Amino acid sequence: MDIRPTPEEAKAELTLAYILDQFKDCADFTHRSFPNNGASVVYLSYLVGNDELLREIVKPLSGANDEEAAALLECDPYSATQDATACLNGILDGSAAIFFRGRAWLVGIGRPIGRTIEQSETESVIAGPHDGFVEDLYENLAVLRKRIKSPKLKTVFLSVGEITRTTVALVYLEGIANREFLGKLIGRIEGAEIDGVFESNMFIQLIDDNPNSVFPQYMTTERPDSIASKILGGRIAALVDGSPSVFSCPTSFFDFFSSPDDYYQRWMLGTALRLLRIIGFIVTIGFTAFYVSVTTYHYEMIPHTMLLNLTESRSKVPFPPLIEALLMETTIELLREAGARLPTKIGQTIGIVGGIVIGQAAVQAGFTSNILIIAVATSAIASFVIPSYVMSASLRLIRFGLIIMAGVLGNLGLFMGIGLVVIQLAGITNLGASYLTPIAPVNFRDMLDTFIRGPFWALTKRPSITRTPNKIKNKMKK
Amino acid sequence: MREKLNWFHVAVLVYMIEFDVTAFSLARVTAENIGTNGWFALVLTSMAASINIFLYWAVYRIGKGQSFFQIMESFVPRGPLVPAYLGLAAFWVLLGSLIGKNFVIVSQMLSFQSTHPMYIFLLYCLLVYAMLVKDLYSIVKATTVFFLLSFWMNALVPYFLSDWKAVRLTPFLFQGSERAHSLQGWAEVFTAFVGYELCLFLFPHSDRKTKLFRGVLLGHLLISAAYVTTVFVTYGFFSFQQLKELQFPLINILEYLELPFLNRLENLVFMFFLFSNLVTTVMFCFASLSTLRHVFPRAKGKTLETVIVCLVFASGFLTKTVRESDEMLRALYFTEMAIAFGLPLLLIPMAYFANRKGRGIEA
Repeated sequence: MDIRPTPEEAKAELTLAYILDQFKDCADFTHRSFPNNGASVVYLSYLVGNDELLREIVKPLSGANDEEAAALLECDPYSATQDATACLNGILDGSAAIFFRGRAWLVGIGRPIGRTIEQSETESVIAGPHDGFVEDLYENLAVLRKRIKSPKLKTVFLSVGEITRTTVALVYLEGIANREFLGKLIGRIEGAEIDGVFESNMFIQLIDDNPNSVFPQYMTTERPDSIASKILGGRIAALVDGSPSVFSCPTSFFDFFSSPDDYYQRWMLGTALRLLRIIGFIVTIGFTAFYVSVTTYHYEMIPHTMLLNLTESRSKVPFPPLIEALLMETTIELLREAGARLPTKIGQTIGIVGGIVIGQAAVQAGFTSNILIIAVATSAIASFVIPSYVMSASLRLIRFGLIIMAGVLGNLGLFMGIGLVVIQLAGITNLGASYLTPIAPVNFRDMLDTFIRGPFWALTKRPSITRTPNKIKNKMKK
Repeated sequence: MREKLNWFHVAVLVYMIEFDVTAFSLARVTAENIGTNGWFALVLTSMAASINIFLYWAVYRIGKGQSFFQIMESFVPRGPLVPAYLGLAAFWVLLGSLIGKNFVIVSQMLSFQSTHPMYIFLLYCLLVYAMLVKDLYSIVKATTVFFLLSFWMNALVPYFLSDWKAVRLTPFLFQGSERAHSLQGWAEVFTAFVGYELCLFLFPHSDRKTKLFRGVLLGHLLISAAYVTTVFVTYGFFSFQQLKELQFPLINILEYLELPFLNRLENLVFMFFLFSNLVTTVMFCFASLSTLRHVFPRAKGKTLETVIVCLVFASGFLTKTVRESDEMLRALYFTEMAIAFGLPLLLIPMAYFANRKGRGIEA
């Protein structure tokens, strides 16, 4: 494991006194001696398992004399170490350090800490595996190894955070992942400057190509099947210790609109779902803005049968459409945020109360028109169609900008806003790969697995964005 | 990693540069200047533009992919060229600006009668700035998306076929024009294709794999096909006399679009033209930027881009009405056409002699 020591640590000599000094004032630090052979054992008591401690240390060492202890420590699982930093990190990782005759050994006796594998709450699927990543890095790695049983699945360990020294594991398939991207990603991770990292979604902001963009630039997911398929596609996955979200790269904007579900259904159904999400994307960013534009500047666009209802409903509202829409959108966002923060059972109540208040009382009080309620609610629902929560949140923010542009300059303002979004998207890269792949640069074959979910017999090549040296997916039959 | 263009992107770029405000009035312009079945004049002028593109191909081949500036400076010292560079840069800024302003005036006339056009133009300039500060590859990526947002409009053609009558085309060719056939009349039709000459500034961003001129020609042929189809449909949709009277036949024809849940769809469809005009303005500004960067290589940060966009905005004050804007734009288009034909005729011998001189030195 590549853990960078501080200059003082790098110089330090590995002695029991040094370790005791480093862990002084740590109440959970335990120092135990064995008088029969003179060995000393140190460990962090809440990180180690009692059974493992008894089996690997207490039982063997308490019954062994000087010579027997020396012979014992030459065997597995005891590994000798002379490096003070490695010893410190080992103890912090849940190992015990044994000091005997001036030498030191590490033995892994850590116990699993955290929840067991369970279903992801943010990304649920109807068909398909239900396991999700958890907070433990090694558990997550095991889940991936279980899915891709290949010695070509390689891992690189890096550490980030000056104080937290969080482990980040890069996972890729040798011969399939692009080495240039891997080198670039390692460089970025090693160059990240921060005192602590607690979450993947936090960490990726440090290694973005465009840190000031509103769009997420690395795809994060809690689903092992999704990550396994990305690794097979030639992408590099990165697991951050303590985070159930795993990110992969390089990522395209359109990756955020695909869900593992698409592949578990018949291809026509998968395609229909993809198209539905694209409609959802258009509705969520543009529907309310279009309402504002039409009711502010382009009344002539509304058919006269609908116009009567709209005028009647709007006549009671004292605000211009822009203010009315912003108020309602803000209310919806308040409800969504409140629902997300509250426990599930109360969250549901908020939804019902909010629905009644907005749906009935606000219209009756002349606070808003009923057609706007439909527009705002449809936009909100459409935003939840997008499988990635981070992308959905970004799009909701952009929606506000488009509403303001539509309120200022009608359809032209709305289109100018869309133009700005496109220009912003065109400037984004992920590890140097274009964010708008496969539209720009255009790749028609990739489109078979972007806007539609082509049948498996047609998906013979890996995505071009990965610049994989091994383009063909199923070489076995060719 | 510096990305190189590929022919598809070049085609898209050329399509979008050539697709500008001239499209709105193209049917009238052909009817006024050429007469009945004026759509066929577009085929002929498009062929003339293709010959011009061939000349640029010759510049590329003979100059071995060297940039416009390298070829010029291999023959003439840099010093005397600087005023010419500055003149060209200013001209392209003005042309880009007036194309944008013309679009803004037309949209203001259609939907925002009470809004000051310069206020709309200011927002337009912000878009130009947002795009211009990006590198060419990002501009091309945005253009590709804008292309997709614009190209679908060609699929509207079948909608008008039910009201299209072949009899309106008349059996006569090039009869009944407002004025006698003249070079100016034909040149006015040719203005629709102005823009392909900017391929000169793509030389440094291309290599052998790009197949630059395949892209330029394809883009040009694509927009030619789109223009010919649109004007052909317009000729069979309106009578010849109507065509000569309508200021913007394309917008008029769009007014016939209707959906059960939306009326007056032209209010929406017209806005898609924003993207093609934006790309045209940005690419003329890009030509100007490339020239200014060559003249002022030490300019810091986004200074040149900011200066260009400020000039674009300031040039917007030159025109207030559609008539003023049309007249000024026509004069600028004629000048640009002269530049478009003149530049390769100047550069080909320069590149040829520079090559011979280079070979002589090597020998």
